[in-house]
Amino acid sequence: CYIFQKGCGRKDCHHILNSSPSFDNWNVLIIVFTEMRDKLRKWREDNHRNSEQIVDVGEELINEHASKLGDDIWIIYEQVMIAALDCSRDDLAWTCLQELKRQFPGSQRVKRLAGMRLEALEKYEDASKQYDSILQDDPTNTAARKRKISILKAQGKSAEAIRELNEYLEQFVGDQEAWHELSELYINEHDYGKAAFCLEELMMTNPHNHLYCEQYAEVKYTQGGLENLELSRKYFAQALKLNNRNMRALFGLYMVSSHI
Amino acid sequence: MAEPELLLDSNIRLWVVLPIVFITFLVGVIRHYVSILLQSDKKLTLEQVSDSQVLIRSRILRENGKYIPKQSFLMRKFYFNNQEDGFFKNTKRKVVPPSPMTDPSMLTDMMKGNVTNVLPMILIGGWINWTFSGFVTTKVPFPLTLRFKPMLQQGIELLSLDASWVSSASWYFLNVFGLRSMYSLILGQDNGADQSRIMQEQMSGAAMAMPADTNKAFKAEWEALELTDHQWALENIEEELMSRELDLDGMFSKELPMGIF
Repeated sequence: CYIFQKGCGRKDCHHILNSSPSFDNWNVLIIVFTEMRDKLRKWREDNHRNSEQIVDVGEELINEHASKLGDDIWIIYEQVMIAALDCSRDDLAWTCLQELKRQFPGSQRVKRLAGMRLEALEKYEDASKQYDSILQDDPTNTAARKRKISILKAQGKSAEAIRELNEYLEQFVGDQEAWHELSELYINEHDYGKAAFCLEELMMTNPHNHLYCEQYAEVKYTQGGLENLELSRKYFAQALKLNNRNMRALFGLYMVSSHI
Repeated sequence: MAEPELLLDSNIRLWVVLPIVFITFLVGVIRHYVSILLQSDKKLTLEQVSDSQVLIRSRILRENGKYIPKQSFLMRKFYFNNQEDGFFKNTKRKVVPPSPMTDPSMLTDMMKGNVTNVLPMILIGGWINWTFSGFVTTKVPFPLTLRFKPMLQQGIELLSLDASWVSSASWYFLNVFGLRSMYSLILGQDNGADQSRIMQEQMSGAAMAMPADTNKAFKAEWEALELTDHQWALENIEEELMSRELDLDGMFSKELPMGIF
């Protein structure tokens, strides 16, 4: 059962899937189709990464109901293709890419998707060349730059990735996703001072997000030293103030206070 | 002197007033789609994008700087405003005001703007004037002086007629401005049929040279950043947190049985 969770036990649900579409069931099938499309739209807008579900629902939509989707189909192709790359369904990704290429021949967005597929197949040099060609046409294209950096990260070259990301951020100072990624890379390298800097940028742009406060407090706590512990306590308290239910911040507050 | 109340033939209403409304509206919609077709892509350079983001970052530092520790705030302020190598002090961008002569794309943009907006208005206004001439169309609700008569009563040669009675050409112009809100309802905001917005832009846009702006914007940001102070918002946060109760309702599903202590 695709719509409701597997094994939902609803009698009419199994009825739809097991019987062939007769006139009685046509209306019900149409309802199922709109639900699938709406689910996909909700996942797209909320940026969910539930790739298995997207692949299931999307594949069915594309194969059975392509004509009814109209212009929506192109964005669904993109969404399903990225999910297919996550589930290593290369066949599905290839079909989606072909359709998109046919419809939008010169598009930068489609080129980026082609590059992502090459990345998934681990052909990193080809992917890198693809992104370079996008950047030649349009130097302000942030998506291609970020994909190049993620290639470096996938290859495990974290020092180079950090360097490239720094250069990217010098030019595009406002990209919060990138700041967060950089803080994660620094934490992996145990460079807590710089990670704290990145998190400060994030806290400034999103002052009401308790998760950034909490991460910052954790980094400060890991750095150690009396000043940092005091700062850490204050930021755990701030995270708790912003969201009373943040258990991790509460625990952090307890740990810091018992260490000071 | 008593103002004579004219009774207009209802045919006027049917065959003049309504058709003019439809014509104006349809012409506006057509103009919107034509402007979409003729739109040229605005290519932003890397530098412009980068500068705009830096300005945003500096503004955020000023507004939300109180959430980060004092040391970090001062570090960033120093980076921006330092005497020798601060960002705002040192970066000078090349000032090239995009005048129509030097920048061909601006010229074509202006041409397209004129063609799509001003030309149809003149043409259709003249056609309406020629077709629907010789009678009054409507009465404006407020009294006008006699000076407006030759302007608003184009085809009518009556000297004694009140200036509030206007001809169809003026009804057309009334429509052009009045249907603006209809356009934003139907075509969404930022549509190409919105003439008054374009005229406003033309008035203020002649002075909008973006590159020169960045230098001035940098200077303005530098001054503003010099003036900001750091009031740490987290000064007394622990006391504040302790003074209030934590809201943990509904978090725990059931009470765990106490162990053997």
